[in-house]
Amino acid sequence: MAEYIPDYVGTVTKYVFVESPSMTPGELALRAYEASEGVLIKETCFGLQVTGEPESVDRLIEEIRSFDPNHIFIKDRGFPPGDPRRCRANLGGARPGYLGHEREFRLLRYITRGLEEIGRREGDETEPAPPVPETKPKLNIKRLQELIATEEF
Amino acid sequence: MAKVFIYPATSLILSDLVARFGHKPLGAALGIRERIQTAGLESPPLQITPEEPKRGLKYAAVEVPSGVRGRMAIYGPLIEEAEAAVIVTEADFAFGCMGCARTDELILFTLRQSGIPILELKYPTNEEEGIAFVATIKNFLKGLPNGGEA
Amino acid sequence: MKKVRIAQLSCGAEYSGVQKEIYDAAESVGAEVFFPDIALADVERAVKKFGLDVKSADLKLMIARAMALVDGKIDADGVFIGTCFRCAEAAIVRNELRRYIPENSKLSVVSYSFTERTTAGTLLTRMEALTTIARRRALLAREEQTGITMGVDSGSSTTKAVVMKDNQIVGTGWHPTTEVLASAENAVTDALAMAGLTREDIQAVGTTGYGRFLIGKHFGADLVQEELTVNSKGAVYLAGHQRGASTVIDIGGMDNKAISVIDGIPGTFTMGGICAGASGRFLEMTAKRLGVDITELGPLAMKGMGKNVPMNSYCIVFGTQSLVNALAAGSSREDVAAAACHSVAEQVFEQQLQEVDIKEPVIMVGGTSLIEGLVHAMGELLQTRVVVPPYSQYIGAVGSALLASGFVKGE
Repeated sequence: MAEYIPDYVGTVTKYVFVESPSMTPGELALRAYEASEGVLIKETCFGLQVTGEPESVDRLIEEIRSFDPNHIFIKDRGFPPGDPRRCRANLGGARPGYLGHEREFRLLRYITRGLEEIGRREGDETEPAPPVPETKPKLNIKRLQELIATEEF
Repeated sequence: MAKVFIYPATSLILSDLVARFGHKPLGAALGIRERIQTAGLESPPLQITPEEPKRGLKYAAVEVPSGVRGRMAIYGPLIEEAEAAVIVTEADFAFGCMGCARTDELILFTLRQSGIPILELKYPTNEEEGIAFVATIKNFLKGLPNGGEA
Repeated sequence: MKKVRIAQLSCGAEYSGVQKEIYDAAESVGAEVFFPDIALADVERAVKKFGLDVKSADLKLMIARAMALVDGKIDADGVFIGTCFRCAEAAIVRNELRRYIPENSKLSVVSYSFTERTTAGTLLTRMEALTTIARRRALLAREEQTGITMGVDSGSSTTKAVVMKDNQIVGTGWHPTTEVLASAENAVTDALAMAGLTREDIQAVGTTGYGRFLIGKHFGADLVQEELTVNSKGAVYLAGHQRGASTVIDIGGMDNKAISVIDGIPGTFTMGGICAGASGRFLEMTAKRLGVDITELGPLAMKGMGKNVPMNSYCIVFGTQSLVNALAAGSSREDVAAAACHSVAEQVFEQQLQEVDIKEPVIMVGGTSLIEGLVHAMGELLQTRVVVPPYSQYIGAVGSALLASGFVKGE
């Protein structure tokens, strides 16, 4: 057996899912980039993956949640982003976990409703999502190609 | 902040709600991350080597299939670490790390045997149930000994 | 060369720590393993349609992926089905998919139940057969031997050589395998002498068996091929049953093969080799203990009644002990010989033949097919008349010589 030398030791990676009528994954990514401060951000079809030192990731996650608390959902990921062992392009098909995400993604609107209601009941309703940036930057074609090439869901 | 085992251990919803309400979710990703970030012998994709099913003997006997023991090598230590658990039953479409029904039965049994506070509920199927789902989890987490909302 | 694409349908491989072994086995035979891409809705639909209501989600995924392959939504050259050893739920799915896929598509399937101890080496021959079937369909379609060709089968117990000319066997050689190359040389020399030919006359050479790579290099073979495809081909050729379905059983010195063959090409197959108690080796030991030559064991067994001798174990050690005890207690040599044959047949029947669909004719090949008592016991268990074609002990060599004629110049 060959020796295994890990990458990204000491980092954490988290998935950020956005299921919102007012914010697309692209918009979420733009705002997250602004707040990233050295945390690696990878845009995906459902939101983002963020990777970095645990404290930095926690800080960024707090901030990202505040963009639209009832429509943004976060979970840990074992692998760093774009890892060839999990990448759809390498496996030929989606890793099994992706189908699990599909299953729960369908239910997120009920959770959103629950969060809204709980927030309302407790009188600490959060502000609605902030306005979309005035000029919506176009996605660089090279960046688009990169995204397609590293597609892994 | 309490360490809360989530079931399904791959659940986005549970991971999110537990963290959102100020606790640490213990799920599959933590076990996989530990292996992915530890040097050793190469065993793609999950860095679960043939040694892991042997480690799993602590949780299941040798006649239990290797896939169950390998999975238990991930979950066993997390369950031991857990101070509470939130369980969504009927998780019949949780794949991969949760894709083996026999392992899932053993995880649930081990959790129920452990004596930690456990909340068991079902996935919501409409908005009403969604509200109850979130409220129940929030209340449960609030009531944990070292709980309280962050 | 373009890689052969093998679709993996599995549950538990990643968690047993054997996924790398699967990757390695595939890679070493020029194949790549992939996971058919489907969506959650496909899984839900497929499970309902297939009608097997399993609980484990990864088994549901296997079913859905199998259906996507059968429906032609996803292309593959072959299918590898793997689940954990000792998992009943998975075994049911594995069995049903192994049946379902070849019945509804042209895809060949190999299945295996693994433990954490499974290695790439164990999977190699199976993967090689799978890639051969995908890559060499044209070669495997050959039904007639042409020119002058030679086949050499370097088995774990014996080495066999056959010389063929114009669709006839004209020379054979048979030697116990001691030193691999020397045994092969001896077998080849005998076969050529019998044929009245020299090495220069041979237009193409094929090799098979455990020593196939080594002797293949030595003889400059045109075709070096694992024994699953070669034996299937040889069996249906010798039995005169090249078209349609058949089942080939080869109880070897070290492992046993059960192959479900369609038009001369393996559909599903199993290889067992964990226990020597289910091998030709056990019969050799029995013959030795009874003080007869292995060639006499069969006729001896035909005169006895196996059920008169209690056999408490399939193990080669304890099984032999049972036979010795029976002899000491006054059992006849005939009954002991019959009991040994029955024990081997029963073990192969229980452990391997359950894994392939038995379709008639059942053809037994390999050295053990000459042991009449064993063939009889197998026929009784399968409730069918087992066919033993002429030259059945030379099966690998004949199959190699037949397929090698595809390499005769001018072909």
